[in-house]
Amino acid sequence: MSVPHEVVFFTGATGLVGGDVLRRMLAADPALRAVVLVRDAGRWEQVSTRLALPAGRVGAVVGDVTRPGLGLSADTRVPLAREITAVVHAAADVVFSRPLAVARAVNVAGVRHLLDVAAGWPRLRRFAHVSTAFVAGRRVGRILEGEERGDAGWVNAYEQSKHEAEWLVRASGRDWVIFRPSTIVCDSAAGGVTQYNAVHLGLRLLHDSLAPMLPAAATSAIDVVPRDYVAAAIAVLALRQDLAGRTLQLCAGSGALPVDELLDVTWRAWSRRPEWRRRGIPRPVLTDIATYHRFELAVEETGDSKLRQAVRALSYFAPQLALPKAFDTRAADAALGGPAPAVRTYWARMLEHLVSVGWCEAVKGVAA
Amino acid sequence: MTGRPGITAIAYALPACSRSVRELGAAGQLQTDPEVLENFGFGRVHIAVAESPYELAYRAAARLLEEQAVDAASIDLVIYSGPPGTLSLTPAAQPWNGAALSSTARFQYPGTLLQFELGLLNASVLGIDQLACSTLFGALRVARSLCVTEGIERVLCVHAEFFPAAAGREAVFNCTSDAACAVLVERVALRNCIAASVHVTKGYYWDGDALKNEIVASYFPTSKHVIERVIAAAGWNAADVDWIIPHNVSLRSWELLLSLLALPNTRLWTDNIARYGHSLAGDNFINLRDALDGGAVRPGQKLILFSYGYGAHWTALAVEA
Ligand SMILES: NC(=O)c1ccc[n+]([C@@H]2O[C@H](COP(=O)([O-])OP(=O)(O)OC[C@H]3O[C@@H](n4cnc5c(N)ncnc54)[C@H](OP(=O)(O)O)[C@@H]3O)[C@@H](O)[C@H]2O)c1
Repeated sequence: MSVPHEVVFFTGATGLVGGDVLRRMLAADPALRAVVLVRDAGRWEQVSTRLALPAGRVGAVVGDVTRPGLGLSADTRVPLAREITAVVHAAADVVFSRPLAVARAVNVAGVRHLLDVAAGWPRLRRFAHVSTAFVAGRRVGRILEGEERGDAGWVNAYEQSKHEAEWLVRASGRDWVIFRPSTIVCDSAAGGVTQYNAVHLGLRLLHDSLAPMLPAAATSAIDVVPRDYVAAAIAVLALRQDLAGRTLQLCAGSGALPVDELLDVTWRAWSRRPEWRRRGIPRPVLTDIATYHRFELAVEETGDSKLRQAVRALSYFAPQLALPKAFDTRAADAALGGPAPAVRTYWARMLEHLVSVGWCEAVKGVAA
Repeated sequence: MTGRPGITAIAYALPACSRSVRELGAAGQLQTDPEVLENFGFGRVHIAVAESPYELAYRAAARLLEEQAVDAASIDLVIYSGPPGTLSLTPAAQPWNGAALSSTARFQYPGTLLQFELGLLNASVLGIDQLACSTLFGALRVARSLCVTEGIERVLCVHAEFFPAAAGREAVFNCTSDAACAVLVERVALRNCIAASVHVTKGYYWDGDALKNEIVASYFPTSKHVIERVIAAAGWNAADVDWIIPHNVSLRSWELLLSLLALPNTRLWTDNIARYGHSLAGDNFINLRDALDGGAVRPGQKLILFSYGYGAHWTALAVEA
């Protein structure tokens, strides 16, 4: 009996993670076909050209996860119902500073709408959901892969909405697998950064002498991951039958870098450039969260816009540093045959890349 | 006799006129909301009108000599700092005459005038410049070194500085006073011995107006570093410090800095922040004088004097009262 070909419905294929996962899955299985849900056909054209996707194996439908029925016409839905065997859901609003209602509209309602539509897909065997390690929110200590508690609260609306989305997936009655990547910072080989996020924004503030303190203990670890690791992991594991009902944390885990060491490496790397070294920019002081909040308050009171903007941007994620976590990655490591690359193996390369492309200017417009 | 150099006398002079933070706000002299500045601990500041920087310098130095019955002839060195040349003689309300700096009037120095007018017959004169609010620290650093290396017995350090008239009354969220302060450093001091001194300069921040935000941000880590260094250089631990004698910048920033240093707010001597605001001439020494007079600082206590000077300088002294 022949194994039926997979036809995978992708959301978020124009994004940092989704596109790379799609490219890898198509490359790994020549029989696999995909349908991507995109908001903008023109943008998808550009992305698919950039990704050099094989011709004829990917179809696109225009829709929006915030709309019931994903905003798809009945004509579009019928063929999908006939074909789709799996979903990889990577669409999300990943901006930390969004109000909760806005984050929920994409990240929670989006999952609900997708599950509703998928309920009419009889061949569907797998719902692979891309979540985030930071659904753990304000919890501290060891964060197990199987845990789904939200009792400690969250640092931002993004975390909360992604937590709520996981619950919908779990309660869906579908065959699901949940991936929880840590924050993606670069590609591991060359340290190249394709998309700036809060980490790059924070690094810019440190580099430009706008971040005097961080709410962290010296030993708190910074858990970040390379994009290629995350995309490869999801591509390999999304359809694996033995992972049904599993949550896999795609995190640095024991390879996370203590804040103190991360600052050492960072200052050493930047100091190689005489023009930065001679500025004598001090390393930020590591302090407790109460002091950090007092600093935020003082800056808010004084109202000087540049520093206030910097401090506000940091406020959506810096408090995570004060909530030290060690992400358990045993299930992911076992499924993949090894751990994520340790942060210290590529961090300096990423810094070099950032400097070489002048990221300080480029990152200025990026929302935290 | 062996012993350590130290501060044996302090005197200061303030202009007659003073204004409340609210009055300054109403007169358009502040950039920040007066209420915010009051929350930061500021109340009144002294503003020179008829006085010149030199006049206040003279008053402070003369008072010091008189109060301590110091023989004018016993002063070996005057270290003077303040506005350059004859500008120092210009009353605050009069505009500065820039032309005075491009004529030989430029060499009419207030330091030498002070030496003459006070009858400091045996004193040579040095000038110190470009250190803003860390100027007196620079003067004491030089004085202490010369006491040790040249065996000089008595150095009179005098600093008179007015906030530039066109700049309003605020410097980076701090309300400013005009003042002058005189400090006597002696080679062998029985009290207020200088146990250590640290001075860090970061030229990157030289343009305080352009890099205001960056300076606010770098202020905290660098201040912490400098204070920790001076404590270590004195052979003390942070827990040994009885008093931080501050420059009179916002209480909020001091509370943050103390928190970063893991020192309680109760160790900060704050009485003059509301009374005088921040004078460029030597808050720390004015405060030390008042804290000694008021009995808050007792003999043998360990003190840290710390200041930041536009330009940018971070400076600290460890003093055994
Ligand atoms: N990047 C990270 O560091 C990171 C870390 C942990 C977890 N994750 C998770 O990984 C997944 C992918 O993130 P990413 O970094 O690839 O994000 P991204 O680059 O911002 O991409 C987001 C994707 O979602 C799509 N999208 C957004 N709103 C949509 C809507 N209303 N309807 C349909 N599509 C919509 C975007 O399409 P458009 O092109 O139309 O905007 C884009 O393709 C997310 O679930 C995220 O939570 C990311």
